[in-house]
Amino acid sequence: MDIFLQQLVNGLTVGSIYALIALGYTMVYGILRLINFAHGDLAILGAFIGLTVITGLAGSGGAPANWIVIVAFVLAILVVAIAGVLLEFTAYRPLRDAHRLSAVVSALGASMFIQNGIMLIWSPQTLTFPEGIMPATTYNFGTVIISATQIFIVSVSFVLMLALYLYVNKTRFGTAIRAAAIDQDAARLMGINVNKVIVSVFILGPALGAIGGLFIGVYYRQAVFDMGWIYGLNAFIAAIIGGIGNIPGAMIGGLLLGLFSSLASGYISSTWQQAIVFGLLILILLVRPTGILGERVANKV
Amino acid sequence: MKLSVNRNIGAVLWIAGLLVPLVASNSWISILSMFAIYAVVALSTDVVLGRAGMYDMGHAVYFGVGAYVTAILNVQYGVPILWTMPIAVVVAALVGMILAAPVVKLRGDYLLVATIGFNEIFRMILINDVGGVTGGPDGIFGIGVPSVFGYSIGSQEGLFILNWLLLGIALVLMNNLEKSRLGRVFRYLKEDELAATTLGVNARYYKILAFALGAGMAGAAGTLFATQLATVSPSAFVFMESVTLFAIVIVGGQASIPGVLLGTVLMFVVPQVFRELAEYRYLVFGLAMIVVMVLRPQGIWPRRNRPE
Repeated sequence: MDIFLQQLVNGLTVGSIYALIALGYTMVYGILRLINFAHGDLAILGAFIGLTVITGLAGSGGAPANWIVIVAFVLAILVVAIAGVLLEFTAYRPLRDAHRLSAVVSALGASMFIQNGIMLIWSPQTLTFPEGIMPATTYNFGTVIISATQIFIVSVSFVLMLALYLYVNKTRFGTAIRAAAIDQDAARLMGINVNKVIVSVFILGPALGAIGGLFIGVYYRQAVFDMGWIYGLNAFIAAIIGGIGNIPGAMIGGLLLGLFSSLASGYISSTWQQAIVFGLLILILLVRPTGILGERVANKV
Repeated sequence: MKLSVNRNIGAVLWIAGLLVPLVASNSWISILSMFAIYAVVALSTDVVLGRAGMYDMGHAVYFGVGAYVTAILNVQYGVPILWTMPIAVVVAALVGMILAAPVVKLRGDYLLVATIGFNEIFRMILINDVGGVTGGPDGIFGIGVPSVFGYSIGSQEGLFILNWLLLGIALVLMNNLEKSRLGRVFRYLKEDELAATTLGVNARYYKILAFALGAGMAGAAGTLFATQLATVSPSAFVFMESVTLFAIVIVGGQASIPGVLLGTVLMFVVPQVFRELAEYRYLVFGLAMIVVMVLRPQGIWPRRNRPE
């Protein structure tokens, strides 16, 4: 039972990170029907920028840890959001009317480009985050240990998800985002600037992804240039489990996937964890391809 | 007319290719050997992706199945290399059918994700040495050399001719597929599955058949790949390889034989030649993929639809 609760806590932490990254996939897919394969790498770019800020400021001494963390997050968000918009302008926008797979290959190329870029700028080796950035406090509930970092990650993620949910559902621009996701042409006829909506999605998604990526960095205290693909893939699986294109779905999918993979690695096998996750994915695709909260698609006749 | 002109030029080029060992250096012979093998895998990917229109991003699995079948049969059971090829083809085709059967009903992107999943599960099976036959992360070493009528053809030149012959067979097969009823059924399914179904095409049957064909071809290439390198390891059949195959077809031109061959040259031979780029390789590679797609969204050498 204790192991179960501990895995639940760990799973919730990883799950909220997956959920944050999954939101970027699902928002882009919802509007452009494009799997943005570069999204995971953008998120990890956030981790590396945060790492540079943290090591730079922590090394200079003087700056309090809280401020270092805040500056790291703000800069990571800014740079990654700019990268996201650049990506949309250079790699995706020219292919808006092309065959769908052309944009997919462009996204794959962008993913390789960013990954290789991270390797060249930083290092081909695994880099570690310095100690003492997050408070080392842990809280013991019986034998279950919850760290301050976990509480930080989960609570910030929930606040962000709630904020995004409210933004998309309660504001005018949020309504425009949802309208563009349902029918771009109709949205355009109603006076919505769809290009602006798309750019906003390429700001919001990468910004949330950068936060998720930096969470991965401070949680595991390390970053390696090619980890974007496995976290990205997991986040993408989370988006599908929740129903790709559906924003609350990505949140639920992320949390469920985090819990599931934690429990799978705790109870079944940690070497096979990733394979079990893919097994689950294929099973879900077969039983309910549109995910838990996904769209209902009728065949065109 | 255009098509047959292309075909004749292709045949001449292929025959000219046979003479390469007479003039080229060893490193070029081995590059062209690998080109022939990857061209066959790329053409086999095109059967599923470009012709039948199914988003298959796990095609390296079938290539890997072929290579491992040859490696295991040859190293553990001493089966002669060329005898392992038909077995590799059949096993790869069967794996293709078994994996495809439940998922071919999935539409577009969902199928793509499912095939990525297959590729990852396959990689984990290889790395974790399931059944104790795959050799784990290191793979299998010491694969023998093929022999024909008692003559060993293990030299660079001998292997090159063997690979080039398989490429020739693959090209003839693709050319026949192009003109056959089966090829038209695939194209029809790709263009409009619903319309094809209403005309009595059994979509499920033909989709699984496309996977079986593509997988079988990839399996044959796998045998030659294992022979060429005399070793197999999981890293040659990972998701990145499937991505490269996928990109070759889209960058070259879907359902276009010259396009796929050109794509193979661009995505496979060019990176080999610019080896000194090593650490910039994927930077250049990724950028090239974006640039080609933006400039030529239909691929470099798109298929020309002739009137029928």
